[in-house]
Amino acid sequence: MIRTEGLTRRFGDRLAVDGLTLEVREGEILGLLGPNGAGKTTTVRMLACLLAPTGGRAWVGGHEVGKEASAIRSTVGILTESPGFYKRLTLERNMRYFAELYGVPDPRSAVQRYLERLGLWDRRTDAVATLSKGLRQRLALARALVHEPKVLFLDEPTAGLDPESARDVRRFIAELADERRTILLCTHNLTEAEELCNRIAVLRTRLIALDRPAALKRRMSGSRVTVELGNPRPEFARDLGLPCVRAAELAGPTLQVEVADPERDVPALVRRLVELGAEIRAVARDERSLEDVYLELVGGNDAPA
Amino acid sequence: MHRLRVLILKEWEELAKIKMVIYGALFLPLLMGGLAGFMVWQGQGLPPEAQAALFNTALMYFLILPVMIPVTLAVYSIVGEKEQGTLEPLLATPLTDWELFVGKAVVAVLPSVGLTWTVFALFLAAAHVMLGGIPSGVLTLPWLLSITVLSPLLAVFGVLVSMLVSSRTSDPRAAYQFSGLAVVPTLVPLIVYSVQMTAVNLLLVILEGGILVLLNAVLLFLAVRLFRREEILTRWK
Repeated sequence: MIRTEGLTRRFGDRLAVDGLTLEVREGEILGLLGPNGAGKTTTVRMLACLLAPTGGRAWVGGHEVGKEASAIRSTVGILTESPGFYKRLTLERNMRYFAELYGVPDPRSAVQRYLERLGLWDRRTDAVATLSKGLRQRLALARALVHEPKVLFLDEPTAGLDPESARDVRRFIAELADERRTILLCTHNLTEAEELCNRIAVLRTRLIALDRPAALKRRMSGSRVTVELGNPRPEFARDLGLPCVRAAELAGPTLQVEVADPERDVPALVRRLVELGAEIRAVARDERSLEDVYLELVGGNDAPA
Repeated sequence: MHRLRVLILKEWEELAKIKMVIYGALFLPLLMGGLAGFMVWQGQGLPPEAQAALFNTALMYFLILPVMIPVTLAVYSIVGEKEQGTLEPLLATPLTDWELFVGKAVVAVLPSVGLTWTVFALFLAAAHVMLGGIPSGVLTLPWLLSITVLSPLLAVFGVLVSMLVSSRTSDPRAAYQFSGLAVVPTLVPLIVYSVQMTAVNLLLVILEGGILVLLNAVLLFLAVRLFRREEILTRWK
Protein backbone atom coordinates (compact mmCIF):
# COMPACT_ATOMS: atom_id res chain seq x y z
CA MET A 1 0.00 0.00 0.00
CA ILE A 2 2.94 2.30 0.73
CA ARG A 3 6.35 1.79 -0.86
CA THR A 4 9.41 4.00 -0.83
CA GLU A 5 12.68 3.51 -2.67
CA GLY A 6 15.58 5.65 -1.54
CA LEU A 7 13.21 8.44 -0.54
CA THR A 8 15.28 11.51 0.27
CA ARG A 9 14.58 15.08 1.27
CA ARG A 10 17.06 17.89 1.70
CA PHE A 11 16.40 21.37 3.08
CA GLY A 12 19.36 23.34 1.75
CA ASP A 13 22.43 21.70 3.21
CA ARG A 14 20.47 19.76 5.79
CA LEU A 15 19.49 16.21 5.03
CA ALA A 16 16.12 15.49 6.64
CA VAL A 17 15.43 12.03 5.21
CA ASP A 18 18.18 9.96 3.66
CA GLY A 19 17.43 7.13 1.25
CA LEU A 20 14.42 5.67 3.02
CA THR A 21 13.36 2.33 1.59
CA LEU A 22 10.43 0.50 3.12
CA GLU A 23 7.11 -1.10 2.34
CA VAL A 24 3.88 -1.02 4.34
CA ARG A 25 1.36 -3.72 3.54
CA GLU A 26 -2.41 -3.24 3.37
CA GLY A 27 -3.99 -3.28 6.82
CA GLU A 28 -0.66 -2.92 8.56
CA ILE A 29 0.22 -0.35 11.21
CA LEU A 30 3.80 0.74 10.82
CA GLY A 31 5.24 2.80 13.64
CA LEU A 32 7.75 5.49 12.73
CA LEU A 33 9.97 6.09 15.72
CA GLY A 34 12.82 8.49 16.05
CA PRO A 35 14.02 11.50 18.00
CA ASN A 36 12.87 15.03 17.18
CA GLY A 37 14.24 16.03 13.78
CA ALA A 38 14.69 12.40 12.71
CA GLY A 39 12.59 12.94 9.59
CA LYS A 40 9.29 11.34 10.65
CA THR A 41 7.08 14.32 9.86
CA THR A 42 9.02 15.07 6.68
CA THR A 43 8.46 11.47 5.55
CA VAL A 44 4.73 11.74 6.21
CA ARG A 45 4.55 15.07 4.41
CA MET A 46 6.32 13.63 1.38
CA LEU A 47 3.98 10.66 1.27
CA ALA A 48 0.95 12.95 1.62
CA CYS A 49 2.27 15.08 -1.28
CA LEU A 50 2.76 18.12 0.93
CA LEU A 51 6.51 18.13 0.34
CA ALA A 52 8.30 17.04 -2.80
CA PRO A 53 11.08 14.49 -2.37
CA THR A 54 14.51 15.64 -3.53
CA GLY A 55 15.50 12.06 -4.29
CA GLY A 56 14.10 8.55 -4.59
CA ARG A 57 10.55 7.50 -5.36
CA ALA A 58 7.45 6.53 -3.43
CA TRP A 59 4.01 5.08 -4.10
CA VAL A 60 0.88 5.37 -2.00
CA GLY A 61 -2.10 3.21 -2.90
CA GLY A 62 -0.46 2.47 -6.22
CA HIS A 63 -0.07 6.17 -7.11
CA GLU A 64 3.37 7.66 -7.49
CA VAL A 65 4.27 10.55 -5.21
CA GLY A 66 5.00 13.71 -7.18
CA LYS A 67 3.17 12.52 -10.27
CA GLU A 68 -0.33 11.71 -9.03
CA ALA A 69 -0.71 14.14 -6.14
CA SER A 70 -4.46 14.61 -6.53
CA ALA A 71 -5.14 10.85 -6.51
CA ILE A 72 -2.92 10.39 -3.46
CA ARG A 73 -4.61 13.22 -1.57
CA SER A 74 -7.97 11.57 -2.13
CA THR A 75 -6.59 8.23 -0.93
CA VAL A 76 -4.95 9.35 2.29
CA GLY A 77 -6.18 10.86 5.53
CA ILE A 78 -3.75 12.86 7.61
CA LEU A 79 -3.71 13.76 11.26
CA THR A 80 -1.12 16.48 11.61
CA GLU A 81 1.09 17.03 14.62
CA SER A 82 -0.94 20.03 15.82
CA PRO A 83 -4.28 19.74 14.11
CA GLY A 84 -5.98 23.08 13.63
CA PHE A 85 -9.64 23.89 13.10
CA TYR A 86 -11.77 26.86 12.24
CA LYS A 87 -12.41 27.57 15.88
CA ARG A 88 -15.39 29.85 15.42
CA LEU A 89 -17.25 27.28 13.36
CA THR A 90 -19.08 24.29 14.80
CA LEU A 91 -17.71 20.75 14.81
CA GLU A 92 -20.24 19.75 12.19
CA ARG A 93 -19.38 22.69 9.91
CA ASN A 94 -15.65 21.99 10.17
CA MET A 95 -16.23 18.37 9.27
CA ARG A 96 -18.66 19.12 6.44
CA TYR A 97 -16.17 21.57 4.90
CA PHE A 98 -13.49 18.92 4.62
CA ALA A 99 -15.97 16.24 3.52
CA GLU A 100 -17.11 18.53 0.70
CA LEU A 101 -13.55 19.40 -0.31
CA TYR A 102 -12.79 15.69 -0.56
CA GLY A 103 -15.88 15.26 -2.71
CA VAL A 104 -17.67 12.88 -0.33
CA PRO A 105 -20.98 11.98 -2.06
CA ASP A 106 -23.16 12.40 1.05
CA PRO A 107 -21.21 14.72 3.36
CA ARG A 108 -23.91 15.03 6.02
CA SER A 109 -24.21 11.32 6.69
CA ALA A 110 -20.41 10.86 6.54
CA VAL A 111 -19.99 13.63 9.09
CA GLN A 112 -22.67 12.15 11.32
CA ARG A 113 -21.13 8.67 11.07
CA TYR A 114 -17.70 9.79 12.25
CA LEU A 115 -18.88 12.29 14.84
CA GLU A 116 -20.98 9.53 16.35
CA ARG A 117 -18.13 7.03 16.18
CA LEU A 118 -15.82 9.41 17.99
CA GLY A 119 -18.49 10.31 20.56
CA LEU A 120 -18.80 13.91 19.37
CA TRP A 121 -22.27 13.96 17.85
CA ASP A 122 -23.87 15.56 20.91
CA ARG A 123 -21.43 18.44 20.63
CA ARG A 124 -21.86 18.92 16.90
CA THR A 125 -23.37 22.40 17.20
CA ASP A 126 -20.68 23.69 19.57
CA ALA A 127 -17.87 25.90 18.30
CA VAL A 128 -14.56 24.04 18.11
CA ALA A 129 -13.05 26.69 20.39
CA THR A 130 -15.03 25.19 23.28
CA LEU A 131 -13.49 21.71 22.95
CA SER A 132 -10.79 20.31 25.19
CA LYS A 133 -7.52 19.15 23.65
CA GLY A 134 -8.59 15.52 23.88
CA LEU A 135 -11.87 16.17 22.09
CA ARG A 136 -10.09 18.20 19.42
CA GLN A 137 -7.78 15.28 18.80
CA ARG A 138 -10.80 13.03 18.38
CA LEU A 139 -12.30 15.55 15.99
CA ALA A 140 -9.03 15.61 14.05
CA LEU A 141 -9.25 11.84 13.72
CA ALA A 142 -12.83 12.13 12.52
CA ARG A 143 -11.74 14.73 9.96
CA ALA A 144 -8.91 12.50 8.74
CA LEU A 145 -11.43 9.70 8.17
CA VAL A 146 -14.43 11.51 6.76
CA HIS A 147 -13.56 10.64 3.14
CA GLU A 148 -12.92 6.96 3.99
CA PRO A 149 -9.21 6.91 3.16
CA LYS A 150 -7.46 3.58 2.73
CA VAL A 151 -4.22 5.02 4.07
CA LEU A 152 -3.85 7.05 7.24
CA PHE A 153 -0.90 9.12 8.37
CA LEU A 154 -1.11 9.80 12.08
CA ASP A 155 1.51 12.18 13.41
CA GLU A 156 1.74 12.01 17.22
CA PRO A 157 -1.96 11.21 17.69
CA THR A 158 -1.78 11.07 21.49
CA ALA A 159 0.78 13.80 22.14
CA GLY A 160 -0.23 16.03 25.03
CA LEU A 161 -3.38 14.05 25.87
CA ASP A 162 -4.33 12.92 29.34
CA PRO A 163 -4.07 9.13 29.86
CA GLU A 164 -7.80 8.54 29.42
CA SER A 165 -8.04 10.48 26.16
CA ALA A 166 -4.84 8.82 24.92
CA ARG A 167 -6.32 5.40 25.67
CA ASP A 168 -9.52 6.28 23.76
CA VAL A 169 -7.49 7.41 20.75
CA ARG A 170 -5.36 4.25 20.85
CA ARG A 171 -8.49 2.08 20.99
CA PHE A 172 -9.86 3.88 17.99
CA ILE A 173 -6.64 3.42 16.03
CA ALA A 174 -6.76 -0.31 16.80
CA GLU A 175 -10.33 -0.40 15.44
CA LEU A 176 -9.15 1.28 12.26
CA ALA A 177 -6.55 -1.40 11.73
CA ASP A 178 -9.30 -4.02 12.05
CA GLU A 179 -10.99 -2.30 9.10
CA ARG A 180 -7.92 -3.09 6.94
CA ARG A 181 -6.76 0.50 6.77
CA THR A 182 -3.05 1.00 6.33
CA ILE A 183 -1.63 3.27 9.00
CA LEU A 184 1.68 5.05 9.32
CA LEU A 185 1.96 6.10 12.93
CA CYS A 186 4.60 8.61 14.03
CA THR A 187 5.05 8.54 17.76
CA HIS A 188 7.45 9.09 20.63
CA ASN A 189 5.34 6.87 22.82
CA LEU A 190 7.07 3.49 22.79
CA THR A 191 4.34 1.71 24.75
CA GLU A 192 1.84 2.94 22.20
CA ALA A 193 4.04 1.77 19.33
CA GLU A 194 4.45 -1.65 20.90
CA GLU A 195 0.72 -1.94 21.59
CA LEU A 196 -0.52 -0.83 18.19
CA CYS A 197 2.11 -1.44 15.55
CA ASN A 198 2.68 -4.58 13.53
CA ARG A 199 6.15 -3.34 12.70
CA ILE A 200 8.36 -0.51 13.83
CA ALA A 201 10.75 1.56 11.74
CA VAL A 202 13.36 3.46 13.72
CA LEU A 203 14.45 6.54 11.85
CA ARG A 204 17.27 8.94 12.45
CA THR A 205 17.43 10.64 9.06
CA ARG A 206 18.25 7.15 7.78
CA LEU A 207 16.36 3.97 8.51
CA ILE A 208 18.15 2.37 11.46
CA ALA A 209 15.92 -0.64 12.04
CA LEU A 210 12.69 -2.12 10.72
CA ASP A 211 11.07 -5.13 12.33
CA ARG A 212 8.27 -6.43 14.53
CA PRO A 213 8.44 -5.01 18.08
CA ALA A 214 9.11 -8.46 19.57
CA ALA A 215 11.83 -9.19 17.02
CA LEU A 216 13.48 -5.85 17.69
CA LYS A 217 13.54 -6.55 21.39
CA ARG A 218 14.86 -10.04 20.83
CA ARG A 219 17.53 -8.86 18.48
CA MET A 220 18.82 -6.36 20.99
CA SER A 221 18.33 -8.49 24.07
CA GLY A 222 21.28 -10.02 25.90
CA SER A 223 22.13 -13.70 26.13
CA ARG A 224 21.73 -13.89 29.90
CA VAL A 225 19.23 -16.14 31.65
CA THR A 226 18.30 -15.66 35.29
CA VAL A 227 17.23 -18.72 37.31
CA GLU A 228 15.68 -18.31 40.75
CA LEU A 229 16.53 -21.35 42.89
CA GLY A 230 14.87 -22.77 45.99
CA ASN A 231 18.04 -24.60 47.05
CA PRO A 232 21.04 -22.65 45.75
CA ARG A 233 24.28 -24.65 45.74
CA PRO A 234 27.69 -23.77 44.16
CA GLU A 235 27.72 -26.86 41.90
CA PHE A 236 24.71 -25.58 40.02
CA ALA A 237 27.00 -22.94 38.59
CA ARG A 238 30.16 -25.07 38.46
CA ASP A 239 28.86 -28.38 37.05
CA LEU A 240 26.48 -27.33 34.34
CA GLY A 241 28.78 -28.82 31.66
CA LEU A 242 26.69 -27.69 28.69
CA PRO A 243 28.44 -26.54 25.48
CA CYS A 244 25.96 -23.65 25.09
CA VAL A 245 26.82 -22.20 28.50
CA ARG A 246 29.46 -19.53 28.33
CA ALA A 247 29.47 -18.50 31.99
CA ALA A 248 27.46 -19.07 35.15
CA GLU A 249 27.46 -17.26 38.45
CA LEU A 250 25.51 -17.85 41.64
CA ALA A 251 24.58 -14.88 43.78
CA GLY A 252 22.32 -15.80 46.66
CA PRO A 253 19.30 -17.67 45.31
CA THR A 254 19.89 -16.30 41.81
CA LEU A 255 21.84 -18.13 39.17
CA GLN A 256 22.94 -15.99 36.24
CA VAL A 257 23.81 -18.02 33.14
CA GLU A 258 25.25 -16.67 29.91
CA VAL A 259 24.15 -18.84 26.97
CA ALA A 260 24.71 -18.69 23.21
CA ASP A 261 21.02 -18.40 22.19
CA PRO A 262 18.52 -18.03 25.04
CA GLU A 263 15.51 -19.06 22.95
CA ARG A 264 17.19 -22.33 21.92
CA ASP A 265 19.24 -23.09 25.04
CA VAL A 266 16.85 -22.46 27.96
CA PRO A 267 15.11 -25.90 27.82
CA ALA A 268 18.47 -27.71 27.93
CA LEU A 269 19.64 -25.53 30.78
CA VAL A 270 16.49 -26.22 32.81
CA ARG A 271 16.80 -30.00 32.17
CA ARG A 272 20.41 -29.98 33.33
CA LEU A 273 19.64 -28.04 36.49
CA VAL A 274 16.82 -30.45 37.37
CA GLU A 275 19.27 -33.36 36.82
CA LEU A 276 21.63 -31.67 39.27
CA GLY A 277 18.79 -31.53 41.83
CA ALA A 278 17.94 -27.86 41.60
CA GLU A 279 14.54 -26.60 42.73
CA ILE A 280 13.68 -24.08 40.06
CA ARG A 281 11.29 -21.36 41.09
CA ALA A 282 11.51 -19.08 38.06
CA VAL A 283 13.40 -18.68 34.81
CA ALA A 284 13.63 -15.34 33.08
CA ARG A 285 15.40 -14.18 30.00
CA ASP A 286 17.21 -10.90 30.18
CA GLU A 287 14.71 -9.28 27.83
CA ARG A 288 15.09 -5.63 27.02
CA SER A 289 12.21 -3.21 26.86
CA LEU A 290 11.40 -1.47 23.60
CA GLU A 291 12.60 1.71 25.24
CA ASP A 292 16.05 0.18 25.87
CA VAL A 293 16.18 -1.05 22.30
CA TYR A 294 15.09 2.31 20.92
CA LEU A 295 17.57 4.28 23.01
CA GLU A 296 20.40 2.01 21.95
CA LEU A 297 19.42 2.26 18.30
CA VAL A 298 19.09 6.03 18.15
CA GLY A 299 21.91 6.62 20.55
CA GLY A 300 24.77 5.06 18.69
CA ASN A 301 24.10 2.81 15.76
CA ASP A 302 24.24 4.57 12.42
CA ALA A 303 24.14 1.52 10.22
CA PRO A 304 20.81 0.66 8.65
CA ALA A 305 19.46 -2.71 9.66
CA MET B 1 -16.10 24.62 -9.38
CA HIS B 2 -17.58 22.51 -6.60
CA ARG B 3 -14.53 22.88 -4.34
CA LEU B 4 -14.33 26.58 -5.17
CA ARG B 5 -17.92 27.09 -4.04
CA VAL B 6 -17.31 25.04 -0.89
CA LEU B 7 -14.28 27.14 0.00
CA ILE B 8 -15.99 30.48 -0.65
CA LEU B 9 -19.09 29.63 1.41
CA LYS B 10 -17.02 28.41 4.35
CA GLU B 11 -14.81 31.50 4.26
CA TRP B 12 -17.77 33.86 4.32
CA GLU B 13 -19.40 31.93 7.12
CA GLU B 14 -16.20 32.15 9.13
CA LEU B 15 -15.52 35.83 8.37
CA ALA B 16 -19.08 36.67 9.38
CA LYS B 17 -18.24 35.42 12.86
CA ILE B 18 -15.21 37.70 13.26
CA LYS B 19 -16.59 40.99 14.56
CA MET B 20 -13.35 42.91 13.96
CA VAL B 21 -13.39 41.94 10.30
CA ILE B 22 -17.03 42.98 9.92
CA TYR B 23 -16.48 46.30 11.67
CA GLY B 24 -13.24 46.87 9.75
CA ALA B 25 -14.93 46.16 6.43
CA LEU B 26 -17.88 48.44 7.24
CA PHE B 27 -15.91 51.29 8.77
CA LEU B 28 -14.04 52.39 5.66
CA PRO B 29 -17.02 52.51 3.26
CA LEU B 30 -19.08 54.40 5.81
CA LEU B 31 -16.25 56.86 6.42
CA MET B 32 -15.51 57.41 2.71
CA GLY B 33 -19.21 57.59 1.83
CA GLY B 34 -19.71 60.07 4.67
CA LEU B 35 -16.80 62.21 3.50
CA ALA B 36 -18.06 62.17 -0.09
CA GLY B 37 -21.52 63.14 1.12
CA PHE B 38 -20.06 65.91 3.29
CA MET B 39 -18.21 67.36 0.27
CA VAL B 40 -21.39 67.42 -1.78
CA TRP B 41 -23.33 68.89 1.15
CA GLN B 42 -20.81 71.74 1.30
CA GLY B 43 -21.55 72.49 -2.34
CA GLN B 44 -25.14 73.44 -1.64
CA GLY B 45 -25.80 76.89 -2.99
CA LEU B 46 -22.60 76.98 -5.11
CA PRO B 47 -22.75 77.52 -8.88
CA PRO B 48 -23.35 74.31 -10.88
CA GLU B 49 -19.72 74.24 -12.16
CA ALA B 50 -18.37 74.31 -8.59
CA GLN B 51 -20.88 71.66 -7.50
CA ALA B 52 -19.77 69.45 -10.40
CA ALA B 53 -16.10 69.85 -9.42
CA LEU B 54 -16.85 68.81 -5.82
CA PHE B 55 -18.96 65.94 -7.05
CA ASN B 56 -16.13 64.72 -9.29
CA THR B 57 -13.68 64.77 -6.39
CA ALA B 58 -16.18 62.91 -4.19
CA LEU B 59 -16.56 60.22 -6.81
CA MET B 60 -12.86 59.36 -6.52
CA TYR B 61 -13.44 57.98 -3.05
CA PHE B 62 -15.41 55.21 -4.67
CA LEU B 63 -12.36 54.11 -6.64
CA ILE B 64 -10.20 53.98 -3.53
CA LEU B 65 -12.71 51.93 -1.54
CA PRO B 66 -12.62 48.65 -3.46
CA VAL B 67 -8.83 48.55 -3.15
CA MET B 68 -8.71 49.27 0.54
CA ILE B 69 -11.62 47.22 1.88
CA PRO B 70 -10.39 43.75 0.88
CA VAL B 71 -6.79 44.07 2.05
CA THR B 72 -7.51 42.86 5.57
CA LEU B 73 -9.65 40.00 4.31
CA ALA B 74 -7.10 38.95 1.71
CA VAL B 75 -4.07 39.07 4.01
CA TYR B 76 -5.96 37.06 6.60
CA SER B 77 -6.80 34.46 3.97
CA ILE B 78 -3.46 32.65 4.00
CA VAL B 79 -1.91 33.94 7.22
CA GLY B 80 -5.11 33.13 9.09
CA GLU B 81 -5.04 29.53 7.91
CA LYS B 82 -1.46 29.21 9.05
CA GLU B 83 -2.15 30.84 12.39
CA GLN B 84 -5.07 28.49 13.09
CA GLY B 85 -3.09 25.45 11.99
CA THR B 86 -5.64 24.64 9.31
CA LEU B 87 -3.36 25.14 6.32
CA GLU B 88 -1.74 21.71 6.44
CA PRO B 89 -5.02 19.75 6.56
CA LEU B 90 -6.38 22.06 3.86
CA LEU B 91 -3.36 21.52 1.60
CA ALA B 92 -3.70 17.78 2.13
CA THR B 93 -7.12 17.85 0.40
CA PRO B 94 -7.42 17.64 -3.39
CA LEU B 95 -7.85 21.45 -3.52
CA THR B 96 -5.52 22.87 -6.20
CA ASP B 97 -3.42 26.01 -5.85
CA TRP B 98 -5.64 27.73 -8.42
CA GLU B 99 -8.79 26.87 -6.52
CA LEU B 100 -7.25 28.05 -3.28
CA PHE B 101 -6.14 31.38 -4.73
CA VAL B 102 -9.19 32.11 -6.83
CA GLY B 103 -11.50 31.09 -3.98
CA LYS B 104 -9.73 33.25 -1.43
CA ALA B 105 -9.66 36.17 -3.89
CA VAL B 106 -13.40 35.94 -4.60
CA VAL B 107 -14.07 35.84 -0.86
CA ALA B 108 -12.39 39.25 -0.49
CA VAL B 109 -13.39 40.87 -3.80
CA LEU B 110 -17.15 40.32 -3.87
CA PRO B 111 -17.98 41.91 -0.50
CA SER B 112 -15.68 44.83 -1.29
CA VAL B 113 -17.30 45.54 -4.64
CA GLY B 114 -20.75 44.98 -3.18
CA LEU B 115 -20.08 47.42 -0.35
CA THR B 116 -18.60 49.99 -2.73
CA TRP B 117 -21.61 49.85 -5.01
CA THR B 118 -24.04 49.98 -2.09
CA VAL B 119 -22.35 53.01 -0.53
CA PHE B 120 -22.15 54.61 -4.00
CA ALA B 121 -25.89 54.15 -4.46
CA LEU B 122 -26.54 55.61 -1.00
CA PHE B 123 -24.27 58.53 -1.84
CA LEU B 124 -26.14 59.24 -5.06
CA ALA B 125 -29.47 59.11 -3.23
CA ALA B 126 -28.18 61.46 -0.51
CA ALA B 127 -26.70 63.84 -3.10
CA HIS B 128 -30.00 63.86 -4.96
CA VAL B 129 -31.79 64.88 -1.79
CA MET B 130 -29.19 67.49 -0.75
CA LEU B 131 -28.74 69.13 -4.14
CA GLY B 132 -32.23 68.53 -5.46
CA GLY B 133 -30.73 66.41 -8.26
CA ILE B 134 -27.37 65.25 -9.61
CA PRO B 135 -25.44 68.08 -11.35
CA SER B 136 -25.55 67.69 -15.10
CA GLY B 137 -22.40 66.40 -16.81
CA VAL B 138 -21.14 64.62 -13.69
CA LEU B 139 -22.43 61.09 -13.93
CA THR B 140 -21.01 60.51 -17.38
CA LEU B 141 -20.39 57.16 -19.06
CA PRO B 142 -16.63 57.19 -18.13
CA TRP B 143 -17.50 57.70 -14.46
CA LEU B 144 -20.19 55.04 -14.46
CA LEU B 145 -17.76 52.66 -16.18
CA SER B 146 -15.12 53.57 -13.61
CA ILE B 147 -17.45 52.61 -10.78
CA THR B 148 -18.90 49.49 -12.37
CA VAL B 149 -15.85 48.10 -14.20
CA LEU B 150 -12.71 49.69 -12.73
CA SER B 151 -13.85 49.16 -9.13
CA PRO B 152 -13.96 45.35 -9.40
CA LEU B 153 -10.68 45.33 -11.34
CA LEU B 154 -9.01 47.50 -8.70
CA ALA B 155 -10.41 45.24 -5.98
CA VAL B 156 -8.99 42.17 -7.70
CA PHE B 157 -5.63 43.92 -8.01
CA GLY B 158 -5.54 44.85 -4.30
CA VAL B 159 -6.57 41.35 -3.29
CA LEU B 160 -4.06 39.57 -5.48
CA VAL B 161 -1.19 41.75 -4.27
CA SER B 162 -2.24 41.15 -0.66
CA MET B 163 -2.51 37.41 -1.15
CA LEU B 164 0.80 37.26 -2.97
CA VAL B 165 2.41 39.06 -0.04
CA SER B 166 0.47 36.95 2.44
CA SER B 167 1.75 33.71 0.97
CA ARG B 168 5.35 34.89 0.66
CA THR B 169 5.93 36.41 4.09
CA SER B 170 6.53 34.35 7.18
CA ASP B 171 5.26 36.94 9.64
CA PRO B 172 1.60 38.00 9.72
CA ARG B 173 2.48 41.54 10.84
CA ALA B 174 4.86 41.96 7.91
CA ALA B 175 2.14 40.66 5.59
CA TYR B 176 -0.27 43.36 6.74
CA GLN B 177 2.33 46.10 6.39
CA PHE B 178 3.56 45.08 2.95
CA SER B 179 0.02 44.64 1.69
CA GLY B 180 -0.83 48.16 2.77
CA LEU B 181 2.07 49.48 0.71
CA ALA B 182 1.12 47.37 -2.27
CA VAL B 183 -2.10 49.32 -2.64
CA VAL B 184 -0.21 52.53 -3.38
CA PRO B 185 0.25 51.96 -7.15
CA THR B 186 -3.50 51.64 -7.60
CA LEU B 187 -3.88 55.20 -6.41
CA VAL B 188 -1.86 56.63 -9.32
CA PRO B 189 -4.84 57.13 -11.67
CA LEU B 190 -6.74 58.83 -8.90
CA ILE B 191 -3.89 61.24 -8.31
CA VAL B 192 -3.85 61.96 -12.03
CA TYR B 193 -7.56 62.76 -11.93
CA SER B 194 -7.44 64.78 -8.77
CA VAL B 195 -4.63 67.11 -9.88
CA GLN B 196 -6.54 67.40 -13.17
CA MET B 197 -3.58 66.41 -15.26
CA THR B 198 -6.30 64.99 -17.41
CA ALA B 199 -10.06 64.71 -17.34
CA VAL B 200 -11.91 61.44 -16.86
CA ASN B 201 -12.68 60.22 -20.33
CA LEU B 202 -13.74 57.00 -21.97
CA LEU B 203 -10.36 56.30 -23.57
CA LEU B 204 -8.58 56.66 -20.23
CA VAL B 205 -11.05 54.36 -18.48
CA ILE B 206 -10.69 51.73 -21.22
CA LEU B 207 -6.90 52.06 -21.07
CA GLU B 208 -6.85 51.68 -17.29
CA GLY B 209 -9.25 48.79 -17.48
CA GLY B 210 -7.07 47.05 -20.05
CA ILE B 211 -3.92 47.58 -17.99
CA LEU B 212 -5.66 46.27 -14.86
CA VAL B 213 -6.93 43.17 -16.66
CA LEU B 214 -3.39 42.43 -17.84
CA LEU B 215 -1.86 43.16 -14.44
CA ASN B 216 -4.43 40.99 -12.69
CA ALA B 217 -3.81 38.09 -15.06
CA VAL B 218 -0.04 38.37 -14.49
CA LEU B 219 -0.52 38.68 -10.73
CA LEU B 220 -2.79 35.63 -10.54
CA PHE B 221 -0.32 33.62 -12.57
CA LEU B 222 2.56 34.82 -10.37
CA ALA B 223 0.63 34.27 -7.15
CA VAL B 224 -0.08 30.65 -8.04
CA ARG B 225 3.44 30.03 -9.38
CA LEU B 226 5.06 31.58 -6.33
CA PHE B 227 2.75 29.83 -3.88
CA ARG B 228 5.00 27.19 -2.40
CA ARG B 229 3.07 24.75 -0.25
CA GLU B 230 6.21 23.34 1.23
CA GLU B 231 7.81 26.68 2.04
CA ILE B 232 4.69 27.71 3.89
CA LEU B 233 4.60 24.44 5.79
CA THR B 234 8.25 24.29 6.69
CA ARG B 235 9.32 27.92 7.03
CA TRP B 236 6.35 29.43 8.82
CA LYS B 237 6.43 28.89 12.55
